[in-house]
Amino acid sequence: MTATRLRAVPGVVWVFLLVPAAVEIGMVFWPALNSFYLSLTKWNGLGAAQPVGLANYRELLSDDIFTGALRNTVIWAVGFGGLSVLGGLALAVALNRPRRGVGLYRSAIYLPMVFSLAVTGLFWRVQYQPDGTINTLLGAVGLESLERQWLADPDTALYAVLVAAVWRQVGYVMVLYLAGLKGADPTLDDASAVDGAGPWQRFRYVVWPQLRGVNTVVFAVTVIDSLRTFDIVWSMTQGGPYHSSELLSTYMFQQGFTFLNLGYASAIAVVIFLLALVFIITYLARATRQEVEA
Amino acid sequence: MTAVTLVPAEQISPAPAPAGPGRRRRGWVFHAVMIPLTLLWVAPMIFVVVLAFRSFDDISQRGTAALPGSFTLDGFRTAFGTGSMGRALWTSIQVTVPAVLLSLLLASWAAYALSRYAIPGRRAILLTMLAGNLLPPQILLIPVSRVMESLGIYDTLLALVAIHVGFGLGFYTFVLHGFMRSIPAELAEAARIDGAGPFQIYARIIMPLCRPSLAALGALATTWIFNDLIWSITVLRTEAKLPVTAALLNLQGGYVSNWNVVAAASLIAAVPTALVFFAFQRHFVSGLLMGSSK
Amino acid sequence: MVHSELTRRGFLAGLGGLGAAGILAGCATGSDDSGSGAASSTLTLQSSLSDADPKAALTKVVEGYSKTKVTLNTIAIETFRAQLPTYLNSGNPPDVLTWYAGSVARDYASKGFLLDVSDLWTGSGPCAGFSPALKELSTGADGKQIFVPTSYYWWGVFYRKSAFQEWGVQPPTTWDEFIAVCKTIKSKGVAPLTMGTGSTPWVASGWFDYLNLRINGAEFHRELLAGKHSFDGPEVKKVMDHYRQLIEFIDPKGRSYSWQDAVTPLAAKKAGMYLIGAFVTTAMPSDAADDIDFFRVPIIDPSVPVAEEAPTDGFFASAKSRNTAGAKELLSYLASAPAQQQFIQLSKSSNLPTSQQVDTSSFAPLVQKGIKLLNESAAITQFFNRDSSDELQTTADTALTKFIDSPRDVNAILAEWQASAKKVLSS
Repeated sequence: MTATRLRAVPGVVWVFLLVPAAVEIGMVFWPALNSFYLSLTKWNGLGAAQPVGLANYRELLSDDIFTGALRNTVIWAVGFGGLSVLGGLALAVALNRPRRGVGLYRSAIYLPMVFSLAVTGLFWRVQYQPDGTINTLLGAVGLESLERQWLADPDTALYAVLVAAVWRQVGYVMVLYLAGLKGADPTLDDASAVDGAGPWQRFRYVVWPQLRGVNTVVFAVTVIDSLRTFDIVWSMTQGGPYHSSELLSTYMFQQGFTFLNLGYASAIAVVIFLLALVFIITYLARATRQEVEA
Repeated sequence: MTAVTLVPAEQISPAPAPAGPGRRRRGWVFHAVMIPLTLLWVAPMIFVVVLAFRSFDDISQRGTAALPGSFTLDGFRTAFGTGSMGRALWTSIQVTVPAVLLSLLLASWAAYALSRYAIPGRRAILLTMLAGNLLPPQILLIPVSRVMESLGIYDTLLALVAIHVGFGLGFYTFVLHGFMRSIPAELAEAARIDGAGPFQIYARIIMPLCRPSLAALGALATTWIFNDLIWSITVLRTEAKLPVTAALLNLQGGYVSNWNVVAAASLIAAVPTALVFFAFQRHFVSGLLMGSSK
Repeated sequence: MVHSELTRRGFLAGLGGLGAAGILAGCATGSDDSGSGAASSTLTLQSSLSDADPKAALTKVVEGYSKTKVTLNTIAIETFRAQLPTYLNSGNPPDVLTWYAGSVARDYASKGFLLDVSDLWTGSGPCAGFSPALKELSTGADGKQIFVPTSYYWWGVFYRKSAFQEWGVQPPTTWDEFIAVCKTIKSKGVAPLTMGTGSTPWVASGWFDYLNLRINGAEFHRELLAGKHSFDGPEVKKVMDHYRQLIEFIDPKGRSYSWQDAVTPLAAKKAGMYLIGAFVTTAMPSDAADDIDFFRVPIIDPSVPVAEEAPTDGFFASAKSRNTAGAKELLSYLASAPAQQQFIQLSKSSNLPTSQQVDTSSFAPLVQKGIKLLNESAAITQFFNRDSSDELQTTADTALTKFIDSPRDVNAILAEWQASAKKVLSS
């Protein structure tokens, strides 16, 4: 790979950079700064905001619902992130070979992404109902003891929603990995097969290293999506029963838009942002450094 | 190496899998696993379709989970009639098309500047732009609506387009940047020797090579922008200007929801994104990350 | 070979593309007056009534208003509630908005966001004939009226007449009779009480409110919600003792239902009774519509004056409206008897008019029974959240659903409720 020789920067190129930068600053960064400021105030949307320093953050630390939501968010990020990546990768590998029906399977698995979350939430809520499909199936195979009210039981609500969310996301991750696999060189794979490497070894030592670029994007997308998950939890449980499936994003929404405690909600949002930052920036900085050095 | 990255991936034909009874058995197992799995994914679509054709009385009598006891087009009639789905669909298209075109245009500008010119701090700028995508949209809702109000474009579709462009820029720039970096310098050099300025290199050399990536990003962007709900309800106040996702929300009453109408409307709303996905599917799996593997 | 014309063409093409995108978006915006201070001659009515029939009814009512052009925008309630401060705070706010009477309206009034409509309540104004209870609900802390109520509905224990006949039970009037009825229905293999406390946990507050009203009276209830009494005091404990008696009769599957899902067992005769608002009639399948009846929540202590819950809906106007005179005229029209009558008829709901001049003799017998119920009550409160705040409602949701799941932990639950209520009320 020849190194790209970068030349001194002409004027039109500055325009090329500054116009998008200005749009992003105006639409995203300026409001974000506003929000960071809001987290230091007490405001209900009307009139002026009242500065209170770090009081919101102090209150967060003593807020049981917040700590519960934080714990749930970490569980969610690991569970949702991990499962959707594993599932997407497995499906991408399985569906990469041209076989009969592969296109059909791929489309079917991506299809949930095309539907509105309100309907997805309704569908899964119906499946989880006491007389819904899941309990019916368990009863049919003799596992009545496992039947329960999935969304009403504080021990299972979060995981029930997690299953629904992973089901939806897997298609998206699969598509990203399919793109990456198409860029992988199949002759290397077949050469190593001829050399006697088993399928797992081939995957681990031949295919996986070639997916490094995809992994960056998948990781970024997965972390962003898991920290931003809101619609599906909200439409299925609204964080209930009694906050057992509360995530930082749902708690923030409730505080900000149902109760209009906008200062407090902004503080929660800052926490979400910092979490995302921790995950992403370190990984990305490492990844792009590798690219620059390559 | 150069040749490989420029040739569309579909032209690299994968080595044929070994024939014989072993393969045939593996093929059967493959389908046996995939078919039930795919059915699990397709089930909600079937559920929504069935729900859309039931009558309200049937649903309230026997529940949403029951097998259909009626067949009617009432859901669709109401969705298009009082639900104004037709108008909402047109509004969604009016927002999505300019937003996608504009965001890809600006992102390609920024990516071009950052990938091929020695802009100081370009890695930091790229990461900062991407960081804009990390922010949970919920915190930005109130400040952004304030910004729109002060710009005088609150409750207009222009504001919605501006937000979508601002929000997508970071991610699209990041992906296009990775792609553009892999385009070899020789091509640009040759053009420069011929007297081309940076804009011509951008327009005649770089952009045409980015076509598959642009197509894939365009499809993704269309899905995201079309399916957006939270920005439309924040920035728009007039019912006639609501896009399809917000109009769908309006179909759920404060007291009673006509689930057959909601299901019918969801089907209508899913059609454009499904069409876009199927049309661009080839590019999806061939162009998104080409060039990021080395 | 690169020619200079390519530069120009390329540049113009790029510019044209941008321009086209801009024009396309610009065409889509429609006209929007954002000049400051200019008086407007049109009106915007922002409505949260997104249910099909009420929306159609309001549309028809508004069409009948010929004085000024009115744009009706209907927005789903969750969104409306979240955007309400933005609407009121805007430089060009909607002129008239739907909302609820009580503390939720008073809160906005105290911050100066609502138009003073006291002149509609005096002299020959359209609201002058409304009951004193309604006037009190529409008055802000400063004594001025800021709200125009146009409909309200009652709460009751709804049941199917034919089902009661099959089971051989009569509507009870006292608590002991009620428990006996529950036991009889349970012996028939049917869940006596249905309650949708899954995605709509506020339903659990229905029984709480009523038990509190029956045991401790309306005044105590209002004071409790205002923070003047403790949630883990002896009075509330007494309420929870009675609530506990109900738990064995409540359909356990209701914990997974929305309030609307819980209507299905009632309609299918798989559940006996449902304490819910009169809006339940809009969720009933049409074949059960004539079979539905209700009875008043049974009396527990005969010495306590009978109070009922009657959430009140209506409209208010934005103080920053650019057409305050027009807004008041629209409010007068909406409050007038013919408009109320038209709305109630077309919305096919069991709502009651607030104007005494509406002829109720043509209303359904069920609705007339509701009117009688409210007329006979000594005091009227609204629902938990309307008398306090949405934030206090969620503390009730948490406490009451936890209680339904594990009634033995009542003391711990009440202590926790008191702590979170205190936090909400003091902020």
